[in-house]
Amino acid sequence: MQGASTGIVYGGLKYQARCIADVRADPDHTSFLAGTLSLKEENEVHLIRLSPSGNELLCEGLFYHQNEIWDLKSCPYDSRILSTVYTSGETYGASVWKIPEISSQSNSPQLDQLVSLDDHTAKIKSVLWWPLGKHDKLVTIDERNIFVWSIDSSNKIAKVISQESVGMLHNLSGGAWDPHDRNAVAAICDSSLQCWDLRTMKNANAIEHAHIRDVDYNPKKQHILATAEDEFGIRLWDLRMPKIPLKELPGHSHWTWAVRHNPEYDGLILSAGTDSTVNLWQVSVGSEDSAIDSPRDKRSRQIDPLLNSYTDYEDSIYGIAWSSQDPSVFASLSYDGRVVVESVKPYIQRK
Amino acid sequence: MAGVSSPPPMDEKAKRTRDLLASFYTNTSNSNSAAPSSPSAASNLTPRSPSSLDSINSPSFDASSYMSLLVQKSNLEGLLQKHVQMAAEIKNLDTDLQMLVYENYNKFISATDTIKRMKSNILGMETNMEQLLAKITSVQSKSDSVNTSLFEKREHIEKLHRSRNLLRKVQFIYDLPSRLNKCIKAEAYADAVRFFTGAKPIFEAYGDSSFQECKRASEEAINTVIQNLQEKLYSDSEPIEARAEAVVLLKQLNFPVDNLKTSLLEKLEDCLLKLEDESKDVSVGEISKTFRAYLIIFPDSEQRLIELAQGLFSRRYDAVRDQLKKRMLSVDLLELLGIIWEDVSTVDQVLPEAALPAYSLESTCSSIRQHISIAFSHLQHEISDAVAGSQSKSNEGRDELDLQIVLENSKKAAMQGSLDLLVELRQFFDEKLELLPKLRELITDWVQEGFQGFFQNLEKHFILLSGSSTNNCPLGESNHSGVLTQSPDKLPTGLVLVLSQLAVFIEQSVIPKITEEIAASFSGGGVRAYEYGPAFIPGEICRLFRSAGEKLLHLYINMKTRKISVVSKKRFTTPNWIKHKEPREVHMFVDILLQELEGVKIEVKQILPCGVIKRHRNSDSVGSGSTNSSRSHPNAMREDKLTRSNTQRARSQFLESHLAKLFEQKMEIFTKVEYTQESVISTVIKLCLKSLQEFVRLQTSNRSGYQQIQLDMEFLKAPLKQLVDDDDAAIDFLLKEVNNAAHERCLDPIPLEAPILDKLISAKLVKNKDLSASPL
Repeated sequence: MQGASTGIVYGGLKYQARCIADVRADPDHTSFLAGTLSLKEENEVHLIRLSPSGNELLCEGLFYHQNEIWDLKSCPYDSRILSTVYTSGETYGASVWKIPEISSQSNSPQLDQLVSLDDHTAKIKSVLWWPLGKHDKLVTIDERNIFVWSIDSSNKIAKVISQESVGMLHNLSGGAWDPHDRNAVAAICDSSLQCWDLRTMKNANAIEHAHIRDVDYNPKKQHILATAEDEFGIRLWDLRMPKIPLKELPGHSHWTWAVRHNPEYDGLILSAGTDSTVNLWQVSVGSEDSAIDSPRDKRSRQIDPLLNSYTDYEDSIYGIAWSSQDPSVFASLSYDGRVVVESVKPYIQRK
Repeated sequence: MAGVSSPPPMDEKAKRTRDLLASFYTNTSNSNSAAPSSPSAASNLTPRSPSSLDSINSPSFDASSYMSLLVQKSNLEGLLQKHVQMAAEIKNLDTDLQMLVYENYNKFISATDTIKRMKSNILGMETNMEQLLAKITSVQSKSDSVNTSLFEKREHIEKLHRSRNLLRKVQFIYDLPSRLNKCIKAEAYADAVRFFTGAKPIFEAYGDSSFQECKRASEEAINTVIQNLQEKLYSDSEPIEARAEAVVLLKQLNFPVDNLKTSLLEKLEDCLLKLEDESKDVSVGEISKTFRAYLIIFPDSEQRLIELAQGLFSRRYDAVRDQLKKRMLSVDLLELLGIIWEDVSTVDQVLPEAALPAYSLESTCSSIRQHISIAFSHLQHEISDAVAGSQSKSNEGRDELDLQIVLENSKKAAMQGSLDLLVELRQFFDEKLELLPKLRELITDWVQEGFQGFFQNLEKHFILLSGSSTNNCPLGESNHSGVLTQSPDKLPTGLVLVLSQLAVFIEQSVIPKITEEIAASFSGGGVRAYEYGPAFIPGEICRLFRSAGEKLLHLYINMKTRKISVVSKKRFTTPNWIKHKEPREVHMFVDILLQELEGVKIEVKQILPCGVIKRHRNSDSVGSGSTNSSRSHPNAMREDKLTRSNTQRARSQFLESHLAKLFEQKMEIFTKVEYTQESVISTVIKLCLKSLQEFVRLQTSNRSGYQQIQLDMEFLKAPLKQLVDDDDAAIDFLLKEVNNAAHERCLDPIPLEAPILDKLISAKLVKNKDLSASPL
């Protein structure tokens, strides 16, 4: 429990949980959305806000959600809109919700369902928003297909613009939308990472022979992305050279479940694993300017890329999210429903 | 008073007199001469005149003002004195002037006398002069007449003399052939050449006309001379001086000596080449003699000879290097180098400018260096052969059995090989070669560097073999990875473990031993700059191998768990858990799991030692285990209660387990792996169970699905504990965790009744027994 002093714990989630998301559209506060995963109960979505003093996590809103949440994303341009992917027994679904006006705080209100994304024929895995701002399209990934939706939240209309199947042989399990290119989506397949071009709905590029659990684009450098993998921990790739990874990090002692680039500090990477730790890494990926900072590159290779390992968790961690409002803060969600917010300031200052 | 002041007035007086006289003689120069004597008085005369008593000498002297000034300034006594003084001065001046007039007058009289005498002398001179002129004219006319009368005779004589000289020359040229022949007979070639070169201009001028015959004959003769000279030059038996002289003579005859030289040198080169081919036909002593001869004969051929000599030795060193490519023993190398060194010193006596010893030293250095590096790469091959060679054998089957042998072999290869190498390299120091003492420090450095490089390469090679190298080569070494991508599949996991163990062995035994040996025989070697430190840094190498060993061990565990994880993934993703049928028997998957784990155990048993510090670890984990097991009882009871529970209860259960976990000591699943059988096996099992838990968490099952998992886990309990002797608690805990996960993810979590559980497990045990019995 030695790390207890640094992290701010939010124990409001009463059930197990997997998903936490940064509310990017909230410019004034460091807020996160967390959704619970409980088979038997009414599930909840919590809007958690870091108090202005920065040492307390407050529950700003608590909303009932019928089914257990497997994926939760906050709309990048409207802080009151979110999307969830949920299952209930054998049924599954995905919806876009609007957080109601917080007037009746005593009762946990229902979320307003804006749109239900229910053209799916296979189990939905994730909903993707274009990460950097207003974009009227939405991508959903189920086990077999990729859908592109046109969303009109004011009129509560969602239309499927295009759809493409990856075939029976593949099994999609998630993906990420390229922040540098609105037409590129990386989809995690069984043993590869496929990059889809949304204009043609074709698989344009692929990283083969990788059993990937999570993928995240570098928000600062185009073509660079990080993957969390079965065999290798964390690997960094340049999509223009999909054969060889740029860099490898050892990852976790058990599965590396999630990986996230810091939105502001380049080369700062957070990873979460089923060994109940969150690791903070510092890597420099010299892509174009490798010639310039190669000496520094060399030095950083000698330095242990692992800046810190946060071990104060009781269970596997499936959800991590950087705050885009204060990029030195991240929230992690362990399976037992504990949200811990940590600041990485001491480690960035060292750099 | 007057006595004191009298000498300066005397001086002043004389000066004034002289000035006055001068002004008398040269009126114009008066002002010029007066000006320097009293420039201030001259220029300041007018304004200062009334106040000065000294201006008596100036031309603008005003007597009345002087007087009035004097009267004003002086008292009576002074005036009287001045009066006396002035009277005396006037008297003096008078006598001086008289004297001067007298003197001048005398001079004038004597001058007049002299002029008178001159006049009388000149009178008789004119007639004498006229007489002399007449006589001289007559002499001149007479001499002219004599000259004209003798002119013709003289001309004749001169002509005769010229023709005589010409005739003599012609005679010489006509005699030249015979004279040359005579010279040839007497072998006085020097004379012959001198004669011929003397006659050469004439031949050039008249050779085509008058002296044709003669020229031909003499040229014939001189040709024989040339031939003879050439023969002389070519024959090795002639004394060197004679040959040198021949060359000089030939050069005088404008014979193309350079051609001769090149042909001779080419001959020498051929000879040298032959020397190489037939290795010992011509001794180097002779060659050096030839070198010396040529050096004297052709003083300008030194450059070429140096080239030849350097060529000769560079070829020989090349030959040595070629031989080096095949592995050769240090002794043989030393012998070869010794022979060459002797030859080099022989030639060096003749040709010191060729700097052969330096070159030879350099070449020797490089060959020894090459030898050392080849020796090391050879050793590396041997070791990797010991490891990988077994791989090909193992492909034929029975791979598990010889893991131990492979380990022993490779250990031996590493230890014995490097020691042998050291012993061999030490021979460089035993040998009494003149060169080696100089190189001793260098060789020491090389050997140390060699070991450093060797171990570094070996470590790289291990990682490479293990196939995890793709991890560590970002982009730069991507060329390798293309080749290596196959190796991870090819290398059996067992060998990774062997490599890991080998790395540990090298770290713990080989390197200390080598360090000792190096300290004993290869210490020192301070040629390397100090900032680099010693070449061989055992600490660094140890660290390298320690990390390599750990890396390989982790890789082994990783490979094993991955394999099992693939099986588990299939097991948990394929069936529809929500529509799972009631469990009838323990699932097949358990067998596969156990089989894999058994495989791990077999491999590990062969290679890794038993855990010695088992007790320690046990007590440690029992501590946490006891809290665990104490927790498991209420847990089980609660589960019983929960059979009747509904959704309301589930929440409290969640909170309860949450609370329980808070009080429970955190289970250390991911402990540091040690190089012991138990540690590795238990790590593999822990990781696998953790994976199972995670897989289960991703599914949603019905009651039967939960019961199936419960059954499988219950069955696993006994065999897993058998596999892991010491860490029961952790296994229990993890199995429970899997069970909990299944419980959480179950829509209707009602566990199997204990009797049914027992029945199914015993049925499975019986079945397994039958299966294992039937092949026997």
